[in-house]
Amino acid sequence: MQFLQQMINGITIGAFYSLVALGYTMVYGVLKLINFAHGDLFMWGAYIGLTGLNVVLAVLAQASPLAVLPAIIAVMVTVALVGVVVERVAYRPLRSAGRLAPVISALGVAFILQSLARNIYGASYKTYPAGVALAGGTTLGGARISVMQIVVLGVSFILMAALYLFVQRTRIGTAMRAVSLDHDTSKLMGIDVNRIIAIVFIIGPGLGGVAGMIVALYYGSFDFTLGWVFGLKAFIAAIMGGIGNIPGAMLGGMILGIIETLGSGYLSPQWKDVIAYVILILILIFRPTGLLGERVAEKV
Amino acid sequence: MYRKLALLLLVLVLTVPMFAGCQKETEAIKIGLEGPMTGDYAYEGQGFEKAVGLLVEQTNEAGGIMGRQVELVIEDDAGDPTQAALVAQRLVDAGVVAVIGAYNSTATEPASEIYNEAGLLHITPSSTATRLTEKGFERFFRVCFLDDRQGLFAATFAKDVLGVQNFGILHDNSTYAQGLAEHTKRYAEEMGMNVAFYDAINPDDQDFSPILTNIGAAGLDAVYFTGYHAQGGLLLKQTGELGLDIEWMMGNACNNPELVQIGGLENAVGTYITTEPLPKDVEYPEAQQFVSDFQEKYDMMPDSVWWMMAAEAFNVIRYAMEQTESTDSEVLADFLHNEAKDINGITGPILGWDEKGDRLGTIHLAYIIDENGDLVVYPEQP
Repeated sequence: MQFLQQMINGITIGAFYSLVALGYTMVYGVLKLINFAHGDLFMWGAYIGLTGLNVVLAVLAQASPLAVLPAIIAVMVTVALVGVVVERVAYRPLRSAGRLAPVISALGVAFILQSLARNIYGASYKTYPAGVALAGGTTLGGARISVMQIVVLGVSFILMAALYLFVQRTRIGTAMRAVSLDHDTSKLMGIDVNRIIAIVFIIGPGLGGVAGMIVALYYGSFDFTLGWVFGLKAFIAAIMGGIGNIPGAMLGGMILGIIETLGSGYLSPQWKDVIAYVILILILIFRPTGLLGERVAEKV
Repeated sequence: MYRKLALLLLVLVLTVPMFAGCQKETEAIKIGLEGPMTGDYAYEGQGFEKAVGLLVEQTNEAGGIMGRQVELVIEDDAGDPTQAALVAQRLVDAGVVAVIGAYNSTATEPASEIYNEAGLLHITPSSTATRLTEKGFERFFRVCFLDDRQGLFAATFAKDVLGVQNFGILHDNSTYAQGLAEHTKRYAEEMGMNVAFYDAINPDDQDFSPILTNIGAAGLDAVYFTGYHAQGGLLLKQTGELGLDIEWMMGNACNNPELVQIGGLENAVGTYITTEPLPKDVEYPEAQQFVSDFQEKYDMMPDSVWWMMAAEAFNVIRYAMEQTESTDSEVLADFLHNEAKDINGITGPILGWDEKGDRLGTIHLAYIIDENGDLVVYPEQP
């Protein structure tokens, strides 16, 4: 019973890591760039979600979970827009400048986004308005699962499946996979590489922003450092699963979430990171490209 | 010839800062305030600024200290030990004669080393880790009370009032929370309680459901969380969401209205909090005067006891300066150690300080969160 409960706890945390990891992996796929600003775009999703909710609730004049839908669309659009601007201003000019400069630029963007959030929204903890998160839950074989957990898991899997199908089945998705293999050859094949990269920077941060809002809805409170821990963990999940690989990001996130949970549940929260990272190092020793890094030839 | 000139120049360059360090008799008295103006504990740091700012303003309006105006120099340590060392040096360089700060023990510890080396009077309003006063720093004082005292109070309350047999203690590995947890554990065991659960969370985490699942299955009568309110609120919220029935007691760092906001009212109701009395529950006229002045100026209550403690620290510095007619840290420290007794403080009577710089006596109370989310004094006290 306790094991089942811990698995539910772990899968929930894992779903959050997976959602954020997708953003790292997509950008790495097309640009070979580790977008350190992704965690902070995710954090901005939580803040814009808060503003959106407040506006919607002011219009509705009553607290309702339905307020989340318009707010989440606002988050998706705004954070995607920020993502595109970041790519245009901070990454594109450095595309031919080697591998180090864009990474440093990404770190710079991360600090800028974090400081902006602190200066605009203040340093104290923010809480989402009462009544927008779904209440209640059910007991399943002695383990408790809340309605919010079901929603979180459902939304995460739908988003991940939709992204996977988009990349595998559509023309733009095919173009993305081509760009991830070789920029120059893609250009010769008539693919507008800049446009494809811009699309990646719409989808990745858009999804990241939505994840930020879902995390804030689920936990109820956050501050401007939210993106740091989640960003780092999700980045590690992406590496674990095989960076550049979408199913790998999902798998890596789930595994990290479950290992951490079992580590803190059966040993101690003080030891969970030790266990999680020993396992990460072992995985990388035996499979340097991550769990799914080799099996799938095409990377996005 | 040139060598002699160079030597003379060198001597000049080296001595100028020495003179610059001394404040002239007519200049404003500079007092430093170090606290977390940003970061996790920004709520407290910004309150420090309000509380001390109010007293500085009142002091200056009334003609200052010994006819000199007071200038408050504020530095932000963000609650971070590295930053604390940095801004402590900045305050020393700014030529302050005494320092109030920091909020959390983790930040106060490195800062106190620097103030000690500079020979400054340093009073912390809120850092309660026992080891801070174990270092033999002669000019370091607290106006708050030791973790040791609160640990004793919490253990007594759990045993005598709540009738706890199986006790759980959870901290967050910070200097303060770990210290309080260790003292509570020691006293609880001395009283014959069974400390069946003792562990720590990582305060950077957002999700504590794994450890809560464990606590829920451990069959404890009560669990004492000694960490800060942001994590305390999440613990309460996630306890409710997991459908667990845990009797929570929390330490004085959870004495904060944000605890209920983060935890959600339905999850927070019935939580016990051990703390120094809230401003509204301190009956001394000095306290009432401060509370009403604070309300008038900022249009809000001084919600946190630590804001009151910060004001108290300033009060003590002012009192010591007026009594000794000196701004010399050594004279002031000597006065506080040996002569200061029975001062009418904002947080209650100040009996004095022991040779280590710890305030004598104690004023802890047990509170419970009622159905409106307000902290009310629990009718039964140990």
